Amino acid sequence: MGINGAGRWLLDASLSCGVYRSVQCRHGAHVPQAIAGPSIGSILPSVSFAGRHICSITDLSREDLLTVMANAREIESAPPVGLLDHRVMATLFFEPSTRTRLSFESAMARLGGRVIGFTDAASSSAKKGESLTDTVRMAASYSDIIVMRHPREGAARLASEASAVPVINGGDGSNQHPTQTCLDLYTICKLFPGLIDGEELVITFAGDLRYGRTVHSLLNALTHFPVRLQTMAIPGLEMPDECLQLAVKRGIKVDEVPDLQAAVASSHVLYMTRLQEERFPDPVELAHIRGSYRLHAGMLDEAHPHLRILHPLPRIHEIAPDVDASRHAHYFAQAANGIPVRQALLAMCLGVL
Amino acid sequence: MPHRVRQVEAIANGTVIDHLPSRVTLKAAGLLGMPDDQLFIGVNLGTNKDHPGKGVIKIANRELSDLFLSRLAMIAPGATINIIRDYNVVQKSPVRVPEAFTDIARCPNRNCVTNHEPCGTRFDVQSQDPLTVCCHYCEREFEAAGLPLL
Repeated sequence: MGINGAGRWLLDASLSCGVYRSVQCRHGAHVPQAIAGPSIGSILPSVSFAGRHICSITDLSREDLLTVMANAREIESAPPVGLLDHRVMATLFFEPSTRTRLSFESAMARLGGRVIGFTDAASSSAKKGESLTDTVRMAASYSDIIVMRHPREGAARLASEASAVPVINGGDGSNQHPTQTCLDLYTICKLFPGLIDGEELVITFAGDLRYGRTVHSLLNALTHFPVRLQTMAIPGLEMPDECLQLAVKRGIKVDEVPDLQAAVASSHVLYMTRLQEERFPDPVELAHIRGSYRLHAGMLDEAHPHLRILHPLPRIHEIAPDVDASRHAHYFAQAANGIPVRQALLAMCLGVL
Repeated sequence: MPHRVRQVEAIANGTVIDHLPSRVTLKAAGLLGMPDDQLFIGVNLGTNKDHPGKGVIKIANRELSDLFLSRLAMIAPGATINIIRDYNVVQKSPVRVPEAFTDIARCPNRNCVTNHEPCGTRFDVQSQDPLTVCCHYCEREFEAAGLPLL
């Protein structure tokens, strides 16, 4: 498995040299598009996901991840019509969600499937005291696949043990959000296809690295690839030791960078996360941190030429709106990648791909 | 030849749990419940400047249940079990640490689904020394000895 060696991505080439072209999206950002070189589509899907649950990124091997990437790429390049005709997806959202729920519903609708479900616990039988497993058993009998978000950690795993149909975790408390990780990885692979076969990419995680589940899961997934990781944490919210130990165990080097300026100068990917303001009860401290942890367009003058800024969204104060128009901003394109990735996962778990 | 003094009373028949860390010996004894027969507990045995000492539990006329042995494996994975017949050790075996502990302990993560839904718990063993486990549901890692037993 691997990509065509003749078409490897060129780290030191300028973005304007023809490796990428830049198109303006409707948000005003310039979105780099790979127009030459390798594509994820050259990887052959090799793993069957039929009937599998997707509860945690730790359930997915490197082969699994590559298969998801390949199928997402195939769907994105040639959207299949009616692939999931007559299939029903149940969305059990026990807490609010914007991007995850909408992108799953859109993914299903675009493949011809239908959606049933609820969007908060108050409109489900959970409010009457029904157990999670009873709710899931009922939903499994009405649908072909379940997508679930729940405020308790481990809820998706418990649901998968009660369900007769595949369960996809759309977020369980601060634990896992594997489809977000898949779309993050897909975004990085699209931008830098060399990730897959040995080019060392420098990826910096910035922000709340302690409680942000997206960075933990993405770090886990990236350890299957030859990356070099950097961290730039808000003081007191550093990456947990177990995440760093996993990276070290898998031979991944992790360094700290002192500030965002250093991060943009040295990274191919800067993965920003939101400051979880509820963790800072002192408004003076919060204001100080907000000021010290905010990326604005003026900081990008010295950026690495290939830098791409990612963010799982919603962004609050950590990325100024003036960054959106930069050629380095890529977070809205990243969110859009949620559709083909979730289409791929739905079709794979339903045994259609 | 040095004079040997038995520090804990011998039992004619029953089970001796040996090589317990002293700090968990009383906890292990508590898991046995109130015995019908003799029970001897020793802690800090053989303590010197190089060795922290060990704990021993001797239970007369009783063999241990699977539930107790699972709980013991969680808090004292290095312990050994000796079966005693007529003052002789007839079987000696280390505590068997399973790949996973099921319904033995509660997850300390207050937001773990197992603390809010009518379901069991499961902890998968991650490393042996010290014994660390990962909650099968919330995926948090813990030192096994510190988990609250069910």
